[in-house]
Amino acid sequence: MSSEIAGDTLRDEESHPAGRPRVPKNKKRSGVTERDRPLWLLAPGGFLITVIILVPLVLALYMSVIDLDQYTLRKWLSTPFIGIENFVEAITKTELLRSIWISVSFAVIATVVTVPLGVAAAVVTQNPYRGRAVVRAVFLVPYVLPSFVVATVWRTMLQPDGIVNNILHGAGIDPGLWLNGPMSYWTLIFVEIWAAWPFVYLLALAGLQSVDHEVHEAAAIDGALWWRKLREVIFPYLRGPVSLAFLLGTLNHINNFTLPFVLFGAPAPADVNVLPILVYVTSFQSFRFGLSAAMAVVSLILIAIPLFIYLRAVKLDVSEDGGKK
Amino acid sequence: MDGSGKTLTVLFSTKPQYPDEQKAWFTKTAADFKTLTGATLQWETYPTANDEMTRIQTSVVSGTGPDVYGLGTTFTPTAYSTGAFVKLGDAEWNKVGGKDKFVPATLGISGPDANNQIGIPFVSRPFVMAYNTELLKAAGIEAPATTWDEFADHGKKMTKAGQYGLAIAYKDNFDPWKFIWGMSIQAGNPIIDGKKVRIDDPTVLAAYEAYFGWITKDKSVDPAAIGWGNAQALAAFAAGRAGYFPMTSPLSIPTLDKSVIKGKYKYALLPLVPPGMTSRPSGGVEAASILSGDNLVVADYSPNKDLAFAFIKMITDTVAQADYYKIFGEIPTNVEAAKALQSDPLVAPALDAASKSVATPFSGAWGDVQLALTNIAVQTIPDLSAGSVSEASLTGRIKDSQAKAQAALDRAK
Repeated sequence: MSSEIAGDTLRDEESHPAGRPRVPKNKKRSGVTERDRPLWLLAPGGFLITVIILVPLVLALYMSVIDLDQYTLRKWLSTPFIGIENFVEAITKTELLRSIWISVSFAVIATVVTVPLGVAAAVVTQNPYRGRAVVRAVFLVPYVLPSFVVATVWRTMLQPDGIVNNILHGAGIDPGLWLNGPMSYWTLIFVEIWAAWPFVYLLALAGLQSVDHEVHEAAAIDGALWWRKLREVIFPYLRGPVSLAFLLGTLNHINNFTLPFVLFGAPAPADVNVLPILVYVTSFQSFRFGLSAAMAVVSLILIAIPLFIYLRAVKLDVSEDGGKK
Repeated sequence: MDGSGKTLTVLFSTKPQYPDEQKAWFTKTAADFKTLTGATLQWETYPTANDEMTRIQTSVVSGTGPDVYGLGTTFTPTAYSTGAFVKLGDAEWNKVGGKDKFVPATLGISGPDANNQIGIPFVSRPFVMAYNTELLKAAGIEAPATTWDEFADHGKKMTKAGQYGLAIAYKDNFDPWKFIWGMSIQAGNPIIDGKKVRIDDPTVLAAYEAYFGWITKDKSVDPAAIGWGNAQALAAFAAGRAGYFPMTSPLSIPTLDKSVIKGKYKYALLPLVPPGMTSRPSGGVEAASILSGDNLVVADYSPNKDLAFAFIKMITDTVAQADYYKIFGEIPTNVEAAKALQSDPLVAPALDAASKSVATPFSGAWGDVQLALTNIAVQTIPDLSAGSVSEASLTGRIKDSQAKAQAALDRAK
């Protein structure tokens, strides 16, 4: 997209005769002028965005309005156009809305828990002490393990006769079922939190590293106690990284396919029929490629709206504010 | 045939249990093929059904890809519905050595009818029931069950402290629908009946009630089995903790021969009389197993069709099939090679099961029916954990599955 915009801008610039009186837009401007910006440097990025994002997106949009399934796959270019039928079916006849609700609610809960955990872990490992390197390494273990491994290990532990239930039985608690039924929703959240908090930790740690040494000194001289110092001096530095972690974390949770797939299998129990599993089953077990594309588009729209509001609210997308604390 | 300078690409599924053996077999087969035709054989593999589907999709859409595909039998209808594979006329069958060289039952899922076939049977994996000879004897059972009621009854008899009558994989992603389909067809309900799906038929409800009843009412299954896949059920049986392990195949021989029950187990046909009955009703089918195994299909975009059929002829000939059985334990589809195995009492029931296998309905909607049947079992697991399945909730799930499967069948072309 940027390449197109870049191209247009160039053309606009060229279409103005050189002798035209120019309105000084910005007096403070320095360095490379807007006119001479080497916009062609955006071309590689623009090309990648086109190939990696735009083309698949357009294909998905096209697929969502045609009747593409196993019967029509071979002649997909002449597959009948059915307009919004896939969308109507996705919303009225499938579990799509329920799956979106499960996915979004699970993702938000997981993020709300992982953010304070990650920040706390970063604060704990901020000041040097004996063994800090070991603690930092241990904190990264869940993040380094592939999702597949994490899910397999937890699935084994949470079996009806697995180690978790054996321990609970030993303590006189009847644990019930973890991997199916209403509890499975909380199992999913728990395992996701276990696997995902180090991501917030890493971002928060990066934020803490950017706090100038003088700020710590000034706070100490002013006699600020630890909580006040943390709340009023340190946390403002973390606003950017943590807002970003909140955003990326939530999106990662929503998009996580491997974890629920390996933990619960497909077809998934109704309580953990998350969006990626629903789209997978529709695509690869029912072979309704058009319908699953429509599902993806609906969920993209539903998730993009709050995302946009969030982006405006925390101003992550406004570059001028990026550096402000 | 002179294939020198040409390359034939073949897509097979990987065998996680036998990685080295498979590699060796690939190399040897490629060398044999080179000697035979002068052409190079290139193997490609897929690890999961998902990758298989992705490969087929890409190839179907782009019109390029492997020349020959090895497909699971139940996937053949879906492949057929894409229309991307060569339909086998007399000429094609002759090129692979004639239809007569295959065990007739194994052709049952090659196509919707005898004139529209795409699949050439490569191996059979018929389902049988394994039983622990000592546990049966100790419970005073003389012969393995032949009806599902008898099966349940034996299960109860063999259940006592530290041991259960039955090893059932309730959490498996495939086993449940095989039980339900088997019991239903034995009662005369093929589930897809022309243009109608019959999941809401009383025979299906009876099948689920029997299947769930083994754990909830009879208590002849380990309560932990609600979390088991087929491998865990096999492990429980191999540890000598269960009398019957239905829904297995001779592929379990290597595992069982390394276990404590080596020499103390045998295979038998799965029961052939539906639950609640003492003999099959009229219209009931003597179905010992779903028709299971691998089919070979040739892509119709392939420029090397003659080479493809020469390759298929080579690996379905008697000697090659006997070798393949020796390495991987998969039952030959070649008549002669299968006959030679009948002298082995351990494998004989599997051969019997192969000849009494019945194909699941040849419909592009079968995938959805299978999914719907499995989904009922998945959503019922919390009830199994609680110890009882109410008829109301089961009927509700059946109704829901019926609607989804019927919608899929209505779309079928």
